[in-house]
Amino acid sequence: MRKYVNAEAMQHAMKLLQLGAKVQQFNGKMCFVEFEINGHKLEYAYNINRKNKYFLERIKPYPLPLKVFESEKDVIELIKIDMEQYKDAMKSKNIDEFIEITTEINIIQKKFEDLFLYYNISKEKADEMKEHIFKIDEIINEIQKESKRVNFLKEPDNLKTEI
Amino acid sequence: MEESHVIIVISIFIATYGIIISEKIHRTTIAMFGAVIMLMLHVLSQKAAIDHIDFNTIGLLIGMMIIVGITRRTGVFEYIAIKAAKTAKGDPWKIIVLLSIVTAVASALLDNVTTILLIVPVTLVITDTLEINPIAFLIPEVLVANIGGTATLIGDPPNIMIGSAANLGFMDFIINLLPVVVIIFIVIMFILKIIYKKSLSTTEEAKQRILNMNEKIAIKNELLLKKSLGVLAITILGFVVHESFGFESATVALAGAAILLLISKVEPEEIFVEIEWPTIFFFMALFVLVGSLEEVGVIEILAEKMVNLTNGNLFITTMIILWVSAIASAFLDNIPFVATMIPLVKGIGAMSAMNITPLWWALALGACLGGNGSIVGATANVVVSGMLEKHGNRISFVDYLKIGFPLMIVSVAISSVYLIVFYL
Repeated sequence: MRKYVNAEAMQHAMKLLQLGAKVQQFNGKMCFVEFEINGHKLEYAYNINRKNKYFLERIKPYPLPLKVFESEKDVIELIKIDMEQYKDAMKSKNIDEFIEITTEINIIQKKFEDLFLYYNISKEKADEMKEHIFKIDEIINEIQKESKRVNFLKEPDNLKTEI
Repeated sequence: MEESHVIIVISIFIATYGIIISEKIHRTTIAMFGAVIMLMLHVLSQKAAIDHIDFNTIGLLIGMMIIVGITRRTGVFEYIAIKAAKTAKGDPWKIIVLLSIVTAVASALLDNVTTILLIVPVTLVITDTLEINPIAFLIPEVLVANIGGTATLIGDPPNIMIGSAANLGFMDFIINLLPVVVIIFIVIMFILKIIYKKSLSTTEEAKQRILNMNEKIAIKNELLLKKSLGVLAITILGFVVHESFGFESATVALAGAAILLLISKVEPEEIFVEIEWPTIFFFMALFVLVGSLEEVGVIEILAEKMVNLTNGNLFITTMIILWVSAIASAFLDNIPFVATMIPLVKGIGAMSAMNITPLWWALALGACLGGNGSIVGATANVVVSGMLEKHGNRISFVDYLKIGFPLMIVSVAISSVYLIVFYL
């Protein structure tokens, strides 16, 4: 098995080098972690290697790159917190809406990328999109102000809490 | 030894080989299991079992695997492949010829599977760039890998086993097998040209993409490259002169490996993990299994029957060994086959006044060239088939057989003429 992986890696490296990339390859292990919480799957993937770089990604309920870590202890800690938060969130009556909205946001992000890469967008249309995004951001901030905080495991990564 | 005991040993041996052929269980697992049963049944003691393991073969394999494991990190194969493609100016047939020469030479110095694992990925990059079906490139490569490996002591595991058992050195193989291998290579390439030339077409744009490739950036570590190639050259020189200095070939390979590990400063753990330990343990288990047959006298009986069958005639015995080895190796793993044949050939030598040297060459030519007969005939073929399938270009058993089997017959026929003219 290892020999096939090596052969494939050799092929990738050769193609990428010709494209002008700097390629580093090192041995490691891919770890797939799966939890099942109230019928919902929560999955993560990360890589263990001797270079002490751990790429952690959440696969389900929707894909999200989480972080690059220096120690495997941090990886487990973050999975633990993420899982606990999801456990609480899964109890919420809005969980299905939450997953649906997040999945939609992911799809929209991908669509926007396609739009940007494949079409020449006018400045007006780009501004129009920006306006909508700001509006959504405002709604998020409003909802945050109006809602009661229920999770104190750690501070949110992206929302400002000193209101 | 009681007759019932002999029957049990033969049954275990046949059952083990049967399962190896069926591929129902990994060959190393079942070979180790068979060998351990022989020990449990006291067919041979642990000490006798260890004595039957040819550590010259094992050491040679491990030593070369370490040297190749370090050398491959330098990107030298990628460099050679791009250089060859550019030298051929992107012309598909010329690239096939140049890559086939590279493969044959590399295969003569490294084992076939390693050569294929190094040459196929870079070939696939070239065929992808040329937007051309890789089958026309990979079939010639795997055929010439098996042919090139026939030429030297270290080119193919059967030769390593034969050389070690028969006390034949690196130069013995070069002098006796290289000439016929060169003839076979030329004939096979000529036939392959007739088969594939018309199907090879590409665009000028694709050729230009090949010419735009930069071989220099393929070299990942120039200092390591110099060290690796230096040690590889010294090791090959060591193989050439090892008999004059009273060294076994394994000593030369392990010395090269140790020197390269020392001067390259590569983490040994990273290299040792690349050694094909299943192959190494497969060899060790096979030596014990065949050793068990020797212990109970089965090999002696078989040798006696062979001598009676051929009346001790060297011509008939050589031709039987050559053709039986070739046909058997076309469909079976040639390593267990050769492991069994070695004591048999020795037995024939002990029982008759025959000069058995031609028999060793017949065994080497038959077992190595026979591997080209079918897709399952050699591990290198299986590896290429797997890589092609992964790449989206499947080659069926029959598709390969239509090309490989006739070409194998041609190469064994050339070998027959060569043996008749020079040895019989």
